[in-house]
Amino acid sequence: MNDTAEDEEDAMLKDITSMLTYFEKHRGNLIPILQSIQEKHQYLSPLALQMVARHLKVSSCDVYGVATFYNQFRFHPPGEHQIKACLGTACHVRGGDIILENFERKLDIKAGETTPDREFSIDRVACVGCCALAPVAIVDDTVYGHMAPSKVEGLILGFEIEKEREKRKKQSNESK
Amino acid sequence: MIKLIVDNNEIEVEEGMTVLQACLDNEIYIPNLCYLKEMDNPPGSCRLCLVEIDGYNQPITSCTVKVEEGMVVRSNTEHIRKLQRTAFELLLSVHHVDCKNCPANRKCELQRIAKFLHFGLKLKRLEPLDREIKVEGDHPFLEYVPNRCVLCGRCVFVCKKKNGQAMLSFAKKGFDTVISFFGEDNSARVSCEECYACAEICPVGALLVKNSKRSAHQRLAKNNNSQRPRPSGRGLKKGNNSLAASIPTLPGGALKGGGK
Amino acid sequence: MNQNSKKKLTEVFASIKTEADKRFKEIKGDDDQNILIGMATCGLASGAIEVKAAFEEAIAERKINAHIMPVGCLGHCYAEPLVLIEKPGFPPILYHNVTPGKARLLVKAFLEEGDPVFEHILGSMEENDIIPSVMEFQRFNQEKRIVMANSGLIDPEDIYHYIAKGGYSALVKALTLEPEKIINEIQESGLRGRGGAGFLTGKKWQLTRDVNEKDKFVICNADEGDPGAYMDRTLLESNPHQIIEGMAINAYAIGAEKAITYIRAEYPLAVKVTKKAIEQAKEIGLLGKGILGTDFNLDIVIFQGSGAFVCGEETALIQSIQGERGMPQPRPPYPSQRGLFGKPTIINNVKTFGSIPPILKKGAQWFRGVGTEKSPGTAIFSVVGNIVHAGLVEIPMGISLRSLIFDICGGIPEQKKFKAVQIGGPSGGCLPEHFLDTPIDFDSLTLAGAMMGSGGIVVMDEDTCMVDVARYFLDFTQKESCGKCTFCRIGTKHLLDILERIITGKGKEGDIELLERLSIDIKEGSLCGLGKTAPNPVLTTIRYFRDEYEAHIREKRCPAMMCRALTAYYIDLDRCARGCDACVGSCPTEAIFTTRDRKKGIDQTLCVKCGECMTSCPVEYDAVIKVSPPELAPKIERPEEG
Ligand SMILES: Cc1cc2nc3c(=O)[nH]c(=O)nc-3n(C[C@H](O)[C@H](O)[C@H](O)COP(=O)(O)O)c2cc1C
Ligand code: SF4
Ligand code: SF4
Ligand code: FES
Ligand code: FES
Repeated sequence: MNDTAEDEEDAMLKDITSMLTYFEKHRGNLIPILQSIQEKHQYLSPLALQMVARHLKVSSCDVYGVATFYNQFRFHPPGEHQIKACLGTACHVRGGDIILENFERKLDIKAGETTPDREFSIDRVACVGCCALAPVAIVDDTVYGHMAPSKVEGLILGFEIEKEREKRKKQSNESK
Repeated sequence: MIKLIVDNNEIEVEEGMTVLQACLDNEIYIPNLCYLKEMDNPPGSCRLCLVEIDGYNQPITSCTVKVEEGMVVRSNTEHIRKLQRTAFELLLSVHHVDCKNCPANRKCELQRIAKFLHFGLKLKRLEPLDREIKVEGDHPFLEYVPNRCVLCGRCVFVCKKKNGQAMLSFAKKGFDTVISFFGEDNSARVSCEECYACAEICPVGALLVKNSKRSAHQRLAKNNNSQRPRPSGRGLKKGNNSLAASIPTLPGGALKGGGK
Repeated sequence: MNQNSKKKLTEVFASIKTEADKRFKEIKGDDDQNILIGMATCGLASGAIEVKAAFEEAIAERKINAHIMPVGCLGHCYAEPLVLIEKPGFPPILYHNVTPGKARLLVKAFLEEGDPVFEHILGSMEENDIIPSVMEFQRFNQEKRIVMANSGLIDPEDIYHYIAKGGYSALVKALTLEPEKIINEIQESGLRGRGGAGFLTGKKWQLTRDVNEKDKFVICNADEGDPGAYMDRTLLESNPHQIIEGMAINAYAIGAEKAITYIRAEYPLAVKVTKKAIEQAKEIGLLGKGILGTDFNLDIVIFQGSGAFVCGEETALIQSIQGERGMPQPRPPYPSQRGLFGKPTIINNVKTFGSIPPILKKGAQWFRGVGTEKSPGTAIFSVVGNIVHAGLVEIPMGISLRSLIFDICGGIPEQKKFKAVQIGGPSGGCLPEHFLDTPIDFDSLTLAGAMMGSGGIVVMDEDTCMVDVARYFLDFTQKESCGKCTFCRIGTKHLLDILERIITGKGKEGDIELLERLSIDIKEGSLCGLGKTAPNPVLTTIRYFRDEYEAHIREKRCPAMMCRALTAYYIDLDRCARGCDACVGSCPTEAIFTTRDRKKGIDQTLCVKCGECMTSCPVEYDAVIKVSPPELAPKIERPEEG
């Protein structure tokens, strides 16, 4: 277990090192760099922040200060499936908080958290620009409009069935 | 030299000075927390130094306005005092008031301002607010007490000015903003033991020298009984401002569409 | 510019235009059949991808010759997926809420057999004798499309479409003029910034032009942080070139060679489309070095905003491009004098840039002819909330709120009553019924206590609690405060806490006055526009709906029955049908139990007040009842197990 964690860290280190060579060592590149790293690795680890700091010749706490300011950046790995409940104005007026609550209850985590099995994470977002379809939820980049508590159940059930099916496929493959 | 009128008194100061500095130099006290004389661009964040200046249609922070010939400034109107009291009460509502046990007792700027505004250190209208704070990053020589911090940013400024690079910074945002020591390895911090500029400049007791019975304030009081010294500036290294470097170059991989 | 280079310039552009016309003709010739599918974010979310696939399959299967063209957004988000079909012999016909099934039907019935399938038609885009034109709807009739003129009608990912429709000719014209002349024209037009404050655009440009610096910047502000508005996103997704053209004209007029489009990272499609547009423009020499053979150079790059509302504020936006925490800076100095990397910088909103090419093309006087004297031109709003035809509208300034909401957008659904309209997002205010005749322009809205803002309009019906609305916006601004200055960082938190206490029934006498006093000080004392406007929703809701605050505080009652701590659902045993189980499965927390006589009751300790049971109870029984305060719900005991 420990080994794989170290391997992962190693791989990330290599990858970020090569990514950084694309960027000029200029302070103005700080946010684009952080965005690229998160795009690739889903989150910013302390190691990543330190590497960025070294590349740009600024202090790590400076980078940390900037990264923690912006909502976009995550400091822990997210779940396999990322659920975002829209709490923009239009969605709020049409009961967005109830949708969020249903996800939270169903998965037994709060917004901003990830399930222990790292399957799901929930976030709140403010308007994804589909207000006419409020309330809206986004699951893994797909936008779902006109959400209702029953649709929440359906969505999560769908993922669970999918997972079950994959597991079975794997098992049958293994047994072959 | 420039002449201006503050609260009906004419004062004469050097050009290029901020209104706040001009007043302080002439024994007109205006409450302030986030301003230091050495700053080129004062942040204007504490909002305590508000004054009325003819020609401005709203109260304005005196630390961000430069003196002008013939300027008419009012620092002591009822309206200004009302705003200052509100700002002060807001700061107090997140401040853990326990002067008896605070190393900054009797040197604290908040105590001085409370006295000046005849406010006291008790909340009048507001409920105290609790901040849930998890500060990341530990420091071998310094201790940070978030619920005393007024987020003036003086510590960050002096550190950067003295060392060219801030070893501490603001982190998080909004109501959760804190000062953080995240990230540096301890070898980089050896110099902190010689410096303590941040702890010295803190207007309250939020940055303390660790494991030392004497706080930085006390050290200071011994070394220098008059005024709190301003940081000795070795000059802030300005970033590279040439235009070639000034626009983020975004090579291929950096611009990610990601949309479907 | 001398005659020679002028001639060269027009020649270079003429060849581009010829190419564009040729390409456009190829797909839009007189006997071509075209299927235009709205594929902006709203269309995609409604299933436009599946619809497109269905069309593709069906025309392949039936061997029909037709072009499928992905286009941007027409603004009719309520009717997405929207499809426009052009068939020789017919006017262009608009179909609404198209499903894959409808798509197949349309290919067979209309394209193959020539029956336009009347029942699915929204309207035709041209006057004709067969099909009612959309112009007969108030919406189309009252709208005036200047910035959105080509939105939803051209392929945003093909620069030649825009050029074929007359695009970039304003840039060509600009390049033949003296910069001063351009700025004069913009000043004459009276155009005011569409990003919120309504500052005169021409004046801002002049200020920047006057600064004697070699390097200057142009920034297009597409951060669009208002949590319930999406005009800027849609414009970039539907016709990015009009914005780019506006930026290029601006850059030429003030003497800048670098420009940045600042788009929030939550808008991946807008980023992608804009990026492609910039590349295409560069390819054919409309951007880059020596544009159209002149000595004007311009590079545009995209910077993705990292999701902080405050970064829409210009000084914070600059900070974030510089790689700093997005904290606003005291002004002066204004960015127009000392902005990005200390250089003079123009920051304008997407819609402001979008208005520039039409003004240059048709002249300041024409622009002044639209809208009102002090606010010429059009306003683009996203109208959402409790409204029948939610979507984007572009209207001349000066139309009343009433006609916008009731005539153009179809009024309130389900025959509910109008209660309030929130204009200007979190910085704006809530206006009640008696303000409905207020004309929409910068000054009238400000006078009424709201704000033009950047164009978000949320319509609220009688079931909306105004205290909760104020709390909602405060929750937003409090979370989005950058934390720099005392009033906003701590003050908004107090406002939010007090509002939260009120909606959960813990409000005290004096809370309203405290809210008011704090709000006024926060407005005056804060550093930037966020803090200065954050209390607006509180102040306006108190001003116009004070009785609702009082009901919450004194009677612990929510008049709109929205605040969940102050409401309860119960099942009326006289109406509940014995043996009916409709509500049981709908409840996400299993709070519904069966009574001894096989009717249903709600366990108040488990109920989360989502209202699902009320929706699922068959209309003929209609037995679920909502009350406030919760004590009004009769106690029904859950029978002992077994
Ligand atoms: C908190 C805050 C958020 C803002 N958000 C935006 C925004 O999302 N888009 C925008 O164009 N302007 C926004 N503005 C206004 C900008 O600061 C600036 O005034 C505007 O971009 C100028 O463009 P204009 O002259 O075209 O209106 C915001 C201002 C504040 C105070
Ligand atoms: S630690 Fe002290 S100096 Fe630093 S921000 Fe807080 S109060 Fe200011
Ligand atoms: S008003 Fe709010 S957002 Fe603006 S500088 Fe102050 S704390 Fe930051
Ligand atoms: S408010 Fe949810 S999509 Fe806009
Ligand atoms: S001293 Fe001026 S705002 Fe703090």
